[in-house]
Amino acid sequence: MTRILGIELRRSAALGSALALAVAGTLLLFFAEGIGFSTGWMQLAMTQRLYLAVLWPLALAAGAWQARREHRSNVEELFGSTPRPRAHRIVPTVGAMGVAVVGGYLAMGIAGALWIVSTARYFPAAVLAVTAVGVLALVAAVWVGLAVGRLLPSLVTAPALGIAGLALLLLIPAATRPRGWLALVFSPIYEMNMPDAYATVPGRVSAAQAVWLAALAVAAVLLFASGGRRIRVAALLPLVLGAALAVTVMPHQNRFVTDAIDPVARALVCTDDQPRVCVSRVHSGLLAEVTPKAREALTVLTKLPGGPTEVHEDTTAYPDVYPAWREDVALVSVEAGPDGHVLEPSAIPAEVVFGAFASPPGCEKPAGWPERVAAASWLTGREPVADEMSDPAMLDSAVQLWQSLRQLPEAEAQKRVVALRRAALSCSVDEGLLTGNAR
Amino acid sequence: MRWLTLYLRSRRAPMALAAAGSIAVLMWSLWSVFSNARDVGFQMVALTVLLLVVALTATLGGPDDALEGTAALRWPRRRVAHLLVALLVVVVLMLVTLATGARFGPGWMMVRDAAGLLGLTALAAATTGTARAWFLPLAWTLAAALYPRSEPVLGQVLTWQAQPPESTAANVTAGLLALGGLVTYAVAGPARRPPAEAGQH
Repeated sequence: MTRILGIELRRSAALGSALALAVAGTLLLFFAEGIGFSTGWMQLAMTQRLYLAVLWPLALAAGAWQARREHRSNVEELFGSTPRPRAHRIVPTVGAMGVAVVGGYLAMGIAGALWIVSTARYFPAAVLAVTAVGVLALVAAVWVGLAVGRLLPSLVTAPALGIAGLALLLLIPAATRPRGWLALVFSPIYEMNMPDAYATVPGRVSAAQAVWLAALAVAAVLLFASGGRRIRVAALLPLVLGAALAVTVMPHQNRFVTDAIDPVARALVCTDDQPRVCVSRVHSGLLAEVTPKAREALTVLTKLPGGPTEVHEDTTAYPDVYPAWREDVALVSVEAGPDGHVLEPSAIPAEVVFGAFASPPGCEKPAGWPERVAAASWLTGREPVADEMSDPAMLDSAVQLWQSLRQLPEAEAQKRVVALRRAALSCSVDEGLLTGNAR
Repeated sequence: MRWLTLYLRSRRAPMALAAAGSIAVLMWSLWSVFSNARDVGFQMVALTVLLLVVALTATLGGPDDALEGTAALRWPRRRVAHLLVALLVVVVLMLVTLATGARFGPGWMMVRDAAGLLGLTALAAATTGTARAWFLPLAWTLAAALYPRSEPVLGQVLTWQAQPPESTAANVTAGLLALGGLVTYAVAGPARRPPAEAGQH
């Protein structure tokens, strides 16, 4: 059997399919929308799932093409006359095509893994589930392709099936609206786009998707193996059962994956030595890069009596999860750039110092952005710079405030900056606190 | 005339034309039913052109290309004519829709995509054989239609099928593919395979 499978791997479309999926997948991963998976393993697994948008139709087409082989070679009658049941004869083909798409998908994963292996540390078990569902989706697709290709043996079947598959994937969300959870059952790519740092796919979602895809795969094999109408009708049974079971298992809640947060990925990992710098576990590979920059900022902050003594990553997560509020902690957002390392490490000190003027959550009179930037710039001694979010008018007023602080005597400026921090902490920032004409 | 009839029959041209016609009608009705917009989305245009080209791909090779090649005929000019007629079929089918309630346009983008994809298919037919020629255009167009990039210029080149008609990089890419496919196919013809594998039916 192994020998036959080996021969089938070489003589069928398996090698070509595996190669095509691996190459197409890798190109998509790196070039389709920029590198969006550099944060960690979960992001890689989810991005791979997203690009099933192209790979899934291609697997369908590859299966349909392979199913036409006997027809193409004019040996259907010859093979039909051999005294072996059709179910026996198709096992090597089904196996070879399955192995091929699994190999292609995993090769794409390895290409992505090599990119992030030096920076990504946190590897939750859910990554394996997400990847397994992706693999299962491709296996189901290639087997459905085999079944359709056998039922409609025409040269146009394979590409037409590919385009129909793409259309199906794109139409599922529209067809099931407003029940987004239903789209999540039937579409392996749904809600996989732009995973943020603490993203995860809950186990029940993966389970429901796996149930449906497994049912689809079984039905496809039944169809491909069928000799008569009875088995073809019987293939409906796993489809119906699988769909019903998957719909039951899937939580009936929209945006279930988009809003899911992995608390372990979000938990803080800290340096052993003082002053403490903490980042979330998913960013723990970046701690060594963040620490010196954060400590540089903490040295600057010693000018503030009672200033922050620790730097934590700002683990605010959409839609409404915030880090615990502590006065002695300055928060800083940590983001991995396309290369997996910290995006703009040079901006970290300024941001930490800026974070020292934050107010508790729910505060009604926090310090304004220009005041915070001006005070932070006075402490670091560097002119305020525009980031992509700030609007020019705000930046202008920040620069003006900073200039006026610099013209003051050192002691007076320090007094105002300290006052701004106190007011920010106690939620009582009045306008003009920095300019000295507070009302 | 007798030669032409036999040629078209050996290439299963009637089947291919019927397939192309039904695809055009199908895509046109899908858009008419499911969308209120009059102008068809660019992804749909690119994919429809792709399907039409794929339907005509089957005519690029006959039942026995090796035998065909031994005939003392001027093949290059016939192959060029074949490709040009195929392009004309795709373009005419799409241009007809411009007069209806679901317009597959803009016209130039569609002509560009048809020419580029036909060239790519002809190139693939000349190198890997007619039976496999659909794969590269399919994979490339699916990816390009889903993830078109307008920056940098390389992105326009790699996703030329989905670029707006005024994109020079996309037009040049399509032109090169069309020309390359035309010349290669005209000179070399479809890749030779054993007759058993070359059959398209």
